[in-house]
Order: sequence, then structure tokens, then C-alpha cells
Amino acid sequence: MVLTSTFTPRNFREQSERASHDATLRAVLDHATRYFMGKRGAALEAFADRDTHFARARSARLTALSRLPDLLEQLERSASAAGTKVHWAADAAEGRAIVTGIAKGCGAKVVVKGKSMVTEEIALNPALEATGAEVWETDLGEFIVQLAGEPPSHIIAPCIHKSRADVAALFREKLGLADLSDSASIPELTLLARRALREKFLAADLGVTGVNMAVAESGSVILVENEGNIRMSTTCPPVHVAVMSLEKVVATLEDAADLLRVLPRSATGQKMSSYVSVLTGPRRADELDGAREAHLVILDNGRSEVLADPVLREALLCFRCGACLNSCPVYQTIGGHAYGSVYSGPIGALLSSLLLPAEDTRDLPFGCTMCGACKKTCPLGIDHPNLMLRLRERVCAGKPHFIGAAHAFLASHPLAYRLAVGAARAVDPRLDLLPRLPGLPSGLASFVESRQPPGLKSSFSAQLRAGRKKQGGA
Amino acid sequence: MSRTRILDTLRAGLAAAPLSVPEPPARPASLAVGPDAWALLAAVLEPLDVRLRVAKNPAEAATHVADIARARGAASYARWQDMPAGLDMDAALAGLTRLSPDCCQALAQVDLGLTFAQAALLDSGSLVLIAGAQRPRSVSLLPPTHVCLVPRASLLPDVSALPELLSRQRGPSGLLPSCLNLVTGPSSTADIELVLVRGVHGPGALDIVGLDWDL
Repeated sequence: MVLTSTFTPRNFREQSERASHDATLRAVLDHATRYFMGKRGAALEAFADRDTHFARARSARLTALSRLPDLLEQLERSASAAGTKVHWAADAAEGRAIVTGIAKGCGAKVVVKGKSMVTEEIALNPALEATGAEVWETDLGEFIVQLAGEPPSHIIAPCIHKSRADVAALFREKLGLADLSDSASIPELTLLARRALREKFLAADLGVTGVNMAVAESGSVILVENEGNIRMSTTCPPVHVAVMSLEKVVATLEDAADLLRVLPRSATGQKMSSYVSVLTGPRRADELDGAREAHLVILDNGRSEVLADPVLREALLCFRCGACLNSCPVYQTIGGHAYGSVYSGPIGALLSSLLLPAEDTRDLPFGCTMCGACKKTCPLGIDHPNLMLRLRERVCAGKPHFIGAAHAFLASHPLAYRLAVGAARAVDPRLDLLPRLPGLPSGLASFVESRQPPGLKSSFSAQLRAGRKKQGGA
Repeated sequence: MSRTRILDTLRAGLAAAPLSVPEPPARPASLAVGPDAWALLAAVLEPLDVRLRVAKNPAEAATHVADIARARGAASYARWQDMPAGLDMDAALAGLTRLSPDCCQALAQVDLGLTFAQAALLDSGSLVLIAGAQRPRSVSLLPPTHVCLVPRASLLPDVSALPELLSRQRGPSGLLPSCLNLVTGPSSTADIELVLVRGVHGPGALDIVGLDWDL
């Protein structure tokens, strides 16, 4: 599959279709999702009082949403008191304008970035580059997809779709390492990336990161990572900008601690990620390192509208552990790129539908089997399938689809159901003719075309009875 | 103005559909920090490739730090100015060049960074490092080896102890310290083919020396 950033949620159907036929991608996804599920499963198995910790984490997030405007104001006050400059961005364009303004203001020539979904969401990199600055993604996986000119494909592992030979070829070309062999080991490749990026950290004028949580009572920003690139981005450059989607605020340090108990375990199966930074304001006058200037950008970009919907606002509880992606049979089959936006998998389909224009995302909530694996996996108890249904309803503007209405009628009238299905079985068992029948609504044609039933010569209940008899006889 | 519009929309949303939060269950009791604390810490650090050496007295601590420097092949070191009383780390590392931790550029040349933890968490094996005037953040970040001293009195059960610890560190103005880092094992990544590699941007080696006496 050719991976380019031309993927769009508008083409979700075609992109999924293509992805599901890509055998290499399927193998990679199978490996990756099993890896994450395995690590997570083992960590949760050993996690004493797990359900109580999950409930407390959910409560911390619910508390945040229930007091969101007050907490954001409190955060603004306490962060300002610590010396952080707080900015508000209504949408992506305003977010970009604020960060590029800061970059120009400090004359930034080299910008280093920590992994952040939200800066992807507002397409910050091209805007920063347009100011004339070099912009470097410094998370290893993000660095690799940036060199390749591709979007990340997984919240936690952005380049799971690339092999070590792919990475070696990329480094050879883009880092000017002509002698690098395809058989270079993974530690060697990692060391090369470390060297290349170490230079950038030391030369950087500006560090840009996302935010895992911001604490209203203390004005602190909390950043969670494994590589150390986020610590570098907030420690070495003279200026740090943290971009935060507004729902990431939590009320207290206690709430933050409850979330830190759960987030790493659910994301990567670690008891704690390698590095958690709690940053409160810029460096103090007597300190030798850390950013001298700290900015916090509070970004809305469509989220505030969601708070009025009692069902859909559950999506704002998410703290991006990525566990629902790995558990989802659709994600396991099509991967991240097919969703065509920054956020993929169950939570991605929900967030994209809520944050992007409705006409671009109408297919996303239908890319769900309603199996409920995501809901079962989510440590914060988000009921993804319920939200998907709500979105489907919204797409149909509350009006039942012809197919839906027909099905509802048949399902509540057993005799009519048997007659209709019996007729279909007798005349058109493979549903070849039905879509071509003149005078049928086009919705029915596309509905039937996208489904390939197994042989319908005998009914499912008849097959089931026959199967049971056979099992009983054996 | 965006700020007003955002806050107004949020308030209108909550007014239209109020959100009440049920009382959460009580936080489960934390692990007790008893006489087996060092053993618990060692056990949780072991899968992270971190070795804990416990010293009974300052002389033993000095020997451990010197051993680590030798084993890691370090020729230079930088350290926090602020160190637990009674420890002469410069004597322990006398064979190495001591470099000043003035800035990231300087620290990028250093082989070994020496810090001490204000706390260590038994549940996760996390070291709690709090930055300050004498305690630059990059000492635990830029050198390829990080050595951290952990006083016995600093052992805590888990991350739920953090809010209180931070509150005790508030400055005269009530501000929290500018930077607290939890450090749990070496810097690591599994971004290429999900193969774990230690030491991406931060130290690839982390060694801990427990100070098992009352400081």
C-alpha cells in the first residue's frame, strides 16, 4: 500500500477496503496489536485492586469534565502565577497562529517536538516550517514517519508499519548515511537517530510538546514518555510551548496521581513510563537549565460544543492510552492510516466524527462491528459502541434509513420475515439480482453490494439445527 | 475573544446537560514500607535492567559509586551540588574528570551524571527527582549513565504519595518546584519493530545506590 498524507476520512470505505487486502499490513498489525495486548494483559493481571483504580481514574476524568470551564480558569490563574504564559485557541488556525507567533518572537531557527497528537491535529509542522524554521519530530517513531513523509499509524507506536530495513533505507537517504546497510540492527539504527537528534536538541531555540494532563490547582503540566525526548525538548531549548486540548485538565494533583496509576499500565503495560515530568512554570532565576519561557496553549477546536451532548461527551474522558485500538477487530484489520485522520481506532472514529466537518466523517461510525471489545478494554469505562450508535443516528439525521425501517418491520413481524427471507433464498441466494432490481432505492443497492452473504440455500436456523444434530450424533 | 467564547460554550453545555459525578470508591491502601523495602525495590527494578546496590554506610556508598563508574567505563562525571550530608562523592570518583553542569551543551560531554532522589516509589521503581538551584534537570538526562542515590527515609509506596511530597516542596510563594521528574528505568523505545532498545535520548544505563542508614 502506498502511504501518503492524502488519506482522508472522506475515503474511509475505499481506504479500509484497500488496507484489508494488504497482507503485509495485516501481518504487521497482527504482531503489533498482539504485542500490546499481551503486555497490557500481563500488567493488569498483576495490578492489585485494578477495578478500584480504574473507577478512581474515571472519576478524576469525569470530575474534570463536570467542572471544565471553572477548572480551565483556575488552571489559567495558577499557571500564570507560576510564570507560564497562557493562550486560548478556538480552532486549529488560531492554535497555529499562536505557536508560530511565539516561534517568530524568539527567532526560532530550530524547533524540536515531542510526540503530540494535538499538534498533528492542528497541522502545526507545516505552519512552523513556513516561518523558515527547521522542525524536528524527536520521538523515534515520529522522526521515522516524518523522514518518510507519512502520517503516524498508531497512537503509541507511530511507525509500526515499517521494518528495520525500511528504516535503514530511509536513514541512508535522508540522514546522508550512504554506508548504512539494510541489515543494520535495531540498536544501531536507534543510536544513529540519537546522534542526529542530539545535535538538534542542543541547537534548538524552541521545544513544542503536547500535554498528558494539566493540573488546575497547581498550574502544572504533566508529560509522560519513555524515550527522554520530551524531557530534552523541555530542558534544553530556551522556550517551551505546551499545546493542550482543553479536556486534558484535571482538578488536583491527587487526580493526576490516580490517572498516572492507570495510564502507563493501560498504554504499554508498564507500571510507570520511563519519564513523567511535572512542570510548573519556567525555570526559576537560580536554576541552570529548563526553559526560561513557558507557554501553555489551551485548544478547543470543536471540543467545547461536545460537552452539551450527554452521550457523546464521554469521548472527552479519553486520556489516549491506545488500548481500544489494539483490541478492535476493525483496527486490527485496517490499521491506523485508513481512518484518514490523526486519531484512529474506536476512539479515533469518535473523536474525528466530533471534531471534523460532518460531511467528511459520515462513514466513520459505521466502521464498527459493535462487538464491544473497546468498551471492555477502556480503563475509563468509555462506552464506545453506544457513542457510535448515537453518531450513526446523527448521520441519518434521526430519520430511519429505508433499509433500517424495512428491517425493523420484518424483525417485528416473524411471518413477514420468514416470507421475505424465504423468497430471497429461493430466487437470489447470493444477492446478485437484488441490487439490479429497477425501482429500488439506491441505498438498498449499495447496502447489498457491500455485503457478501455465505450461501443462503438453507436458512441460518435450519443450518444451526442441522449442525446441532450432527454434533449430538458424533 | 476566543477565551470568552470557549468558556461560554462550555458553561452553556453543562447548563443544558448537567454532569454529576458519583463518589468514587476509596483509594486502595498502599503497600507498607517495611524492613523488606529494599528487596521490593530491587525486585521491581530488575526487569527494567536497573541494579540496586545497598550501602550500609558512606564508605560503602563511595565504593559502590566508584564500582559503577568503572563498570560503565566513565571518564568524566557531573553531579548535583546538593548531596546528602556525609557523602564525599568527589573522593569516590577521584579518578574521573569532574565537569560542571552549567548547561545542556556542557552535559552532553559528560559520561556519568550523579543525582539523589527525594523519593523512590516501591510500586513502580520510580525515582523522584526534584529540580532546583543546585540540582539541574539535565544531569539525569544527557549523560549515557545516570547514577542515583536513594536515602532509606525517602522510600514511599506509590505515586499516590506524590501530591503530599510536592506540597512539602512548595516555595515561600506557594509555588511548586519548577520541575519534578519520575524516572523509572533507563530511557527506552520499542518504536522499530517493537524491539526494546535501552538508551534512546536519555541514559541507556541507570544505577541506583541505596543509602541504608539514617542521614
